[in-house]
Amino acid sequence: MASKAERDAIKVAKVLMVGAGGIGCELLKTLVMSGFQDIELIDMDTIEVSNLNRQFLFRKKHVGQSKAQVAREAVLKFRPDAKIVAHHANVKDPQFDIDFIKRFTVVLNGLDNVEARRHVNRLCLAAGVPLVESGTTGYVGQADVHIKGRFTCFECYPPPPPKSFPTCTITNTPSQPVHCIVWAKELPFAKLFGEAGLANDLDMRSDDQAEEPLEEDTNWHRVKENETPTAYACRVFDKVFGHNVAKTLEMDDLWKNRQRPKPLYIDEVLPETSEPPAKRPRTEGANAGDEERSVSAASNLGLRDTNQVWSLQENARVFLESVRLFLEERASEIGSLRFDKDDTLAVEFVTSASNLRDISFGIQTQSLFAAKGIAGNIVHAIATTNAIVAGMIVIEATKIVTGQMDKLKTHWCEQFLRRKMLLWSIDPNPPNPKCYVCSDTPLFLEVDTNKATLGEVLQKIVKKKLAVVSPMVLFGNSILYETGDDLDEDEQRSYAANAAKVLSQFPTPIGHNSLVSIDDSQQDFRCTLHIVHRDVFDEEKEPDMMVLRGEIPAVKAGEGTANGTEAAEDDDDDLTIIDNAVQEVDAVQETSAKAGKRKRDEEDGDHGSRKKRLPEEKETEDVDTGVIDLL
Amino acid sequence: MSGIARGRLAEERKVWRKNHPHGFVARPETTSDGTLNLMTWHCSIPGKKDTDWDGGFYPLTMLFSEDYPSKPPKCKFPVGFFHPNIYPSGTVCLSILNEDTGWKPSITVKQILTGIQELLDAPNPSDPAQTDAYQLFVQDRKEYDRRVRQQALKYPPAI
Repeated sequence: MASKAERDAIKVAKVLMVGAGGIGCELLKTLVMSGFQDIELIDMDTIEVSNLNRQFLFRKKHVGQSKAQVAREAVLKFRPDAKIVAHHANVKDPQFDIDFIKRFTVVLNGLDNVEARRHVNRLCLAAGVPLVESGTTGYVGQADVHIKGRFTCFECYPPPPPKSFPTCTITNTPSQPVHCIVWAKELPFAKLFGEAGLANDLDMRSDDQAEEPLEEDTNWHRVKENETPTAYACRVFDKVFGHNVAKTLEMDDLWKNRQRPKPLYIDEVLPETSEPPAKRPRTEGANAGDEERSVSAASNLGLRDTNQVWSLQENARVFLESVRLFLEERASEIGSLRFDKDDTLAVEFVTSASNLRDISFGIQTQSLFAAKGIAGNIVHAIATTNAIVAGMIVIEATKIVTGQMDKLKTHWCEQFLRRKMLLWSIDPNPPNPKCYVCSDTPLFLEVDTNKATLGEVLQKIVKKKLAVVSPMVLFGNSILYETGDDLDEDEQRSYAANAAKVLSQFPTPIGHNSLVSIDDSQQDFRCTLHIVHRDVFDEEKEPDMMVLRGEIPAVKAGEGTANGTEAAEDDDDDLTIIDNAVQEVDAVQETSAKAGKRKRDEEDGDHGSRKKRLPEEKETEDVDTGVIDLL
Repeated sequence: MSGIARGRLAEERKVWRKNHPHGFVARPETTSDGTLNLMTWHCSIPGKKDTDWDGGFYPLTMLFSEDYPSKPPKCKFPVGFFHPNIYPSGTVCLSILNEDTGWKPSITVKQILTGIQELLDAPNPSDPAQTDAYQLFVQDRKEYDRRVRQQALKYPPAI
């Protein structure tokens, strides 16, 4: 298939793999089987039991060990001649700087979070090394080629962020199960068991109504003196499912075109409620932590089938029982709990609370399994998708190292047939000329960060060399410096003080590898200075005691840069998200044990669900940009 | 750190400095270390002329996330601000600030502020966010207006 020259190119190519998880394991295996021999891989994670169903380089005995190292050892067993270097480290660590990246022919990403992807994207742009980016979500997957100046970078067209729901809908007018689940997590759960004092918009009743003080009301979520856990649970029940719903009914305008909700009161739902189920004796010698996590309201009540949809009464009982169990078995955690989809009792509480609200508002109730999926944003990872995507990455990596740049493609796979196809390939898109990230020209400033002041950099470099008229200096999310008559006095004072500061003396020090952005308030000019720390300068040849390297970008005519504004509304080439509907894949159970992290941070790829829109299926997007409609 | 949010906010700052509506204030907060934090802006919205809101300069904080401008900023008046569409926490409930209804990445800081200024005198009773102001607005307009005027006195112009 490949010529001798191509095989040699593959053999000597230096490949950096970032991520040795779901995609990474497949990728490393496919790389070495395709002839790649010189590979470094970075992964900061250790192996968990939940990885074993799809990360085939790992076995049960490896649980707790470094993914990067175990993956390396597993592959060396069948390809002992490969040269693989494993880094059990975070790709954001300073050791992996631009010079490190420059050593590689190509960088391949198999990451699980946007922050790391952005970071590697920027490193590759600055180092000028091609990047193959990838991601999977359930059956959907994608591999993309990013080369500076040639194709889009990872951030040229940012995917829409995960959907969140309007507060008004959640508080007053839920219409889908997910609305009630979000409500249950953010209102009763957070209020009863979470951190106190966090401002919560969902709590609509004002705490400081000067007119009619409702002393009792403001502390409804706290246990009163001499109140038994069951009495407390019943009072909370009446408050959130009864009284509060009745209260929203008072807002007549809200219900003109909507079905009126029905308040639920415990006496009506469970007329016989009084005695809590007999308390189970604690298992002797059991690990206290495990014990706490294993308390379950549903199993106490004999509701063991997680796919069963509970009745109104069952939901009410689970609600009361889960509140009681939190109070009696996990009292120490109250006040600091955060919802965690792997916390059985928390999931039971949220399921029952959301179902009770569903019933009030006439919405379909959910089984514990379904509610857990929605609450935890779980999309089950599929090994086959990872394998397909890893194959796509290797195809593109091969083209890059053999110099077939004109043949590069973007690939993705679909969940359902689209024009009789599941796998798609198209030419990669050109870069977004307005991208804030890749349209930026990197410049390198060699400077002694322990001696030079910001003012000196402004004077000797920014004004003299870059010809910036009215500089605006950005570092991280802060503005360090601006000039102009329109500035307020306190701003001018701060900026004058900042100009006198030595670079390394800033609260967040500017040092080696720091990125400082320069913008001109007067004209359309932007650039980023990569700071390179250097102690010694030749005073005769380098009288400025600082040296600027790189190509100075020209002032742009016309509009500024923009990601996500006009650019995103150009409909011919943007990326869309396939609605992350929760997919229950019976065969492949999602078993990740990572606590409390959102799905987008833990599956094998969140942006995997980005896909190119097919040209024939253009949608007309709303392109008016300036109209403000009020409510 | 998202270059996108930051880049856009730097652009918003530039545009605002060049030109902004009279009486409005919007600037990134000055932190104790002498830098300006682009992710939090302190603003002031003047009440519209010839309304009960006139004379007040209402302080508003805009909190931008790393997902801006894909997601709108959170806009907050002081806790307990009296208005039917402001949550007790001070958060503004407005269609253009809601990513499901009216938010678009192209909406500027200026448009948000003038939109909120509009909202002050033109509340939307079909989407109440606090009971206090909402109930007075629909049941006792006189008392409502009195409370609005009283609140305007609470927020005199700076200096």
